[in-house]
Amino acid sequence: MEAELALHNKLLAQGRRNRRITVFYVLGALALLVAVVNLAVGSISYPLRDVLHVLFNPSEVSDLHFIVWKIRLPRTLACLMGGAYLAASGLLLQVYFRNPIVGPFILGISSGATLMVALVMLTALGLQLTYVTPFLTTIAGMVGAYGVMFIVVSIAAKVRSGATLLVVGLMMGYICGAVHSILTALAEKEKIKGFVLWSMGSFSGFKWVEIGILFVVGGLLVGSIYLLSKPLNAFLLGEDYAATMGVSIRKFRLFILLAASSLAGLVTAMAGPVAFIGLAVPHMARLSFGTSDNRVLVPGACLMGAIVTSLCDLIARMWLSPVELPISAITAFFGGPIVIGLLLKRGFKL
Amino acid sequence: MTTPFLECRKLSVGYKKAVLRDLNFSAGRGRFIAVLGPNGVGKTTLLRCLSQRLKPLGGEIFLQGKNLQSYRPLELARILSVVMTDKAAPPLLSVYEFVALGRHPHTGFLGKLTDIDEARVGDALRSVRAEALADRFIDQLSDGERQKVVLARALAQDPELTLLDEPTAHLDLKHRMEVMGILRSLCSQRNLTVIAAIHDVDVAAKVADLVLSLKGGTVASFGRPEETLTSGSVASLYDFERASFSNLLGGVEIRGDGSQGKAFVLSRQDSGALAYRFLAKKGYQLSGGILDPADLDAHVGRALGARLFLWDGAAPPEALYDEALADLSEASLVVDGVPESGAAPADGLSHRLLDAARERGLKVIRLGSPGDVSPLASALSANA
Repeated sequence: MEAELALHNKLLAQGRRNRRITVFYVLGALALLVAVVNLAVGSISYPLRDVLHVLFNPSEVSDLHFIVWKIRLPRTLACLMGGAYLAASGLLLQVYFRNPIVGPFILGISSGATLMVALVMLTALGLQLTYVTPFLTTIAGMVGAYGVMFIVVSIAAKVRSGATLLVVGLMMGYICGAVHSILTALAEKEKIKGFVLWSMGSFSGFKWVEIGILFVVGGLLVGSIYLLSKPLNAFLLGEDYAATMGVSIRKFRLFILLAASSLAGLVTAMAGPVAFIGLAVPHMARLSFGTSDNRVLVPGACLMGAIVTSLCDLIARMWLSPVELPISAITAFFGGPIVIGLLLKRGFKL
Repeated sequence: MTTPFLECRKLSVGYKKAVLRDLNFSAGRGRFIAVLGPNGVGKTTLLRCLSQRLKPLGGEIFLQGKNLQSYRPLELARILSVVMTDKAAPPLLSVYEFVALGRHPHTGFLGKLTDIDEARVGDALRSVRAEALADRFIDQLSDGERQKVVLARALAQDPELTLLDEPTAHLDLKHRMEVMGILRSLCSQRNLTVIAAIHDVDVAAKVADLVLSLKGGTVASFGRPEETLTSGSVASLYDFERASFSNLLGGVEIRGDGSQGKAFVLSRQDSGALAYRFLAKKGYQLSGGILDPADLDAHVGRALGARLFLWDGAAPPEALYDEALADLSEASLVVDGVPESGAAPADGLSHRLLDAARERGLKVIRLGSPGDVSPLASALSANA
């Protein structure tokens, strides 16, 4: 009886492991596919063979070469990385707060970025600074995102409970939101459209420097999150249980908040506040891998985030082409029903 | 003298302000220590302090002779595990994975389970008899099943000391007894030391080696339940007004509020015990006799606050009879539970009292076979 049970458990564990591996392969293939499609499809579509040719012969000079290397490749990479980082950030915060409706912007990151960008885009401040740097909105976004992050993290050192911190983050969001509403009210009409479009996110216009920063900084952060997925698993049971299992809560909490906010801040500064990915993709990953084990979910959510974001960017570009739609509209419009569908199909509670 | 496994010296615990102060107690390895006390007395705070989650406001805790505060978190996690009231049930986590989280302090980088870890997880599941639950998802279990699994997680941590905060709250009787039985046998078989905040004083009396009673911010008593849990000490611990604890019976009895008047129970040798409880429940104030002081009926009656007429067979019975008769005359209900074969001298007195009751026109109800309260039940419901 006991041996039978052990065998049964072993088979079941094996089955689950196989499922996870299969899902990884499928997602990996999908990511590659959607990336290639993103390179090939656009306002002018090229045959796949030509695109691949240009991709592997970077020294050639042609129109296609310019489009692929200056526009489509940076954008594709930005989508892949941006989506992955937002998903990782959301996953981290969902685990830390043990709350399924938490996303990367819950601590006010996007509001901080939006506020600073509003300052430069809606006021005369921007005009003077444009001469200084072409990365004006990116730098403003970064200052805003990280400014809010440091305020929240320093408050976090003082408050004991996660729920309190959540409310603090929400309040920060409202405060920043109030200021940028006032700025919007006072701004000139023409400027508002540009700002509103920025505030709905876009992966267009990424420069190679930005891609480099995304790759190095974000890669390091995601890597270290993966390495810390063991204590992150202990957090599934809550901070108190994690502490009694030997996790040094203070340090780890600081790490979670910093890593999650840095990732979200990085993406937001460059692409604007892309909604929904960070909130929904962790659930999609959890449901398709069928586990809450963060050793699976950290890479899993990254992969899923990359795919979903790339796909949404493709739709945003192509659906009403040549008009490009804001990516946040697409992520929510298509992502929402998918999450609801997955939840209903599994009949599972969060 | 050897150092005790766990020792608290002049311990004060609380958040900023002390909730409990001047706690002194120590316990050896393998003991089951129940922490009793009214709600809000600080049981949970004490447990948090013992688990290093809260720094003592004063005094010291020694675990295996070493100050608790000097343990590193990981070092402590290898010998101490905790079961909290928090209903941690993450979605999409199998019972096996959940229990395996308990191996956290023992596993290496990324938490890969070795054969030893797997064996420990298996042991833990077996010792709470939850092997069959291994593949289920943790959030799909019933309260009782989950509590066993939560316990298994604490055991998988391979602790020498486990702290539990109300481990059987919200569980049905079966699971309550099962969980307590498991803890009990872990103490004796694995030499695990258990400290558990427990609500039910009767459960504590039955499972604990030592009872720490907390009242009014400090220790009311500490020692074996057989000695410290008297009817008086328990009554003052919980400020009982209409209830009382009987150590001998191992339970708490709730007295009638007297709203239905007085009932007089005549019985001997266990025949009246259930009638006493039944009548208390219906709201009667109780009297009874004629009983040997060692009769079970006398113990139950006493726990229910009955006025008892006891006779050891030696003293002259007439004075007792007169007193009992006076009391009986005020009763609105007389219960006849005297054994049929009643040849004992006490039964003679009881029969005389019954005759007197009938003479006075009092309502007398004869119990069915010894202890059977159904005639009483139908008489009372007919009344209502």
